[in-house]
Amino acid sequence: MNSLRRIMDIHAVEPSDSVLDRLRERLAAWLCAHAPVAVGYSGGVDSAYLAVAARSTLGPDGVLAIIGRSPSYPAVQWETAREVARRFDVRVLELDTEEVDDPRYAANPSNRCYFCKSELWGKLVPVARAHGFANVIDGTNADDLTDWRPGAQAAHEHGVASPLAQLGFTKLHIREASRLLGLPTWQQPSSPCLSSRLPYGVAVTRERLRQVERAESALRALGIAGDLRVRYHEEVARVELGAAELPRWLDPVRFTALRDAVVGTGFERVALDLRGFRSGSLNVLHGVST
Amino acid sequence: MTGPERGDRTGRNATSLAAAIAELGIHCSLEVRGGLALLLPVPASVEKLQDPETRRAILALAREHGFTHVGIELPSDRRGAEARDADAPLLRD
Repeated sequence: MNSLRRIMDIHAVEPSDSVLDRLRERLAAWLCAHAPVAVGYSGGVDSAYLAVAARSTLGPDGVLAIIGRSPSYPAVQWETAREVARRFDVRVLELDTEEVDDPRYAANPSNRCYFCKSELWGKLVPVARAHGFANVIDGTNADDLTDWRPGAQAAHEHGVASPLAQLGFTKLHIREASRLLGLPTWQQPSSPCLSSRLPYGVAVTRERLRQVERAESALRALGIAGDLRVRYHEEVARVELGAAELPRWLDPVRFTALRDAVVGTGFERVALDLRGFRSGSLNVLHGVST
Repeated sequence: MTGPERGDRTGRNATSLAAAIAELGIHCSLEVRGGLALLLPVPASVEKLQDPETRRAILALAREHGFTHVGIELPSDRRGAEARDADAPLLRD
């Protein structure tokens, strides 16, 4: 609970029990009205909650969690996804997506996410329907609606519903509801795709994605917890740490260890972002959002 | 390398930013990458960055000078020597 309080101190006020109860009741009603459902499942905070809530509400045959394995996600993400599904008895199906091979995606335009989600839903929705799941849902939440999310258009075009956003679940509501369900993801940092570490216009390649993945993994191995991003600026890695971590890594000895860990993954230079982690940081740098 | 006044159409001014940061007691070279200001402080200045007030002041100065992000690069021994030997600010663009 202390960890949740720290998250809440940073992000917002604590959701009241009555608000959360009402949201959970509305979600259960929504799921019953749309059952059975297939969930686009990444093992992240939102989709894990949605899949487990659907399993809890609809039973084992009422939900199918479908993982779209993408090169733009770290391998550890899929391990988490499988583990959560196994623990909560959620049926899982896995398929591969190849958006990196789409030149429109690889060129890394500001609407890159549209091409990624077009690939994902273009494969996932037919597979779900072939398994008898006419309704496909995703874990988009109400906070996401305030950010630049071109991928939402692709979901709309493929008829994918976003009940958490529709019903008003914020990230904080989802974390607290996840904690109450016993989900290990309740305090997991948000985990957008690795392509989000590359500035728009810098080509997305498998090698660059793996380079960022290696760098973030090396920093986790140093014991860095919470939000963490390695932003790709060619030979420079710009490291964004959470507010709780940043001061101690500005200690010269720790800073040296951090730099050496990242340099070992293929970057030549390492910079610590002085403000620390911010979601959509490269959107700000490129004027897509403020 | 000291540079000419680096104001541009975006309103970014690296020379002025480096001078303003030096007034906080943080001596560094400065490299501009679009909206990102990369600071390379001399080793003696790195510890001062642990002070949250100093960090806030640098971020505010960077915003005033047109930058959206500030990165701190820990100098290697070679780079640190370069920075110490030069008249700050050192600009690399």
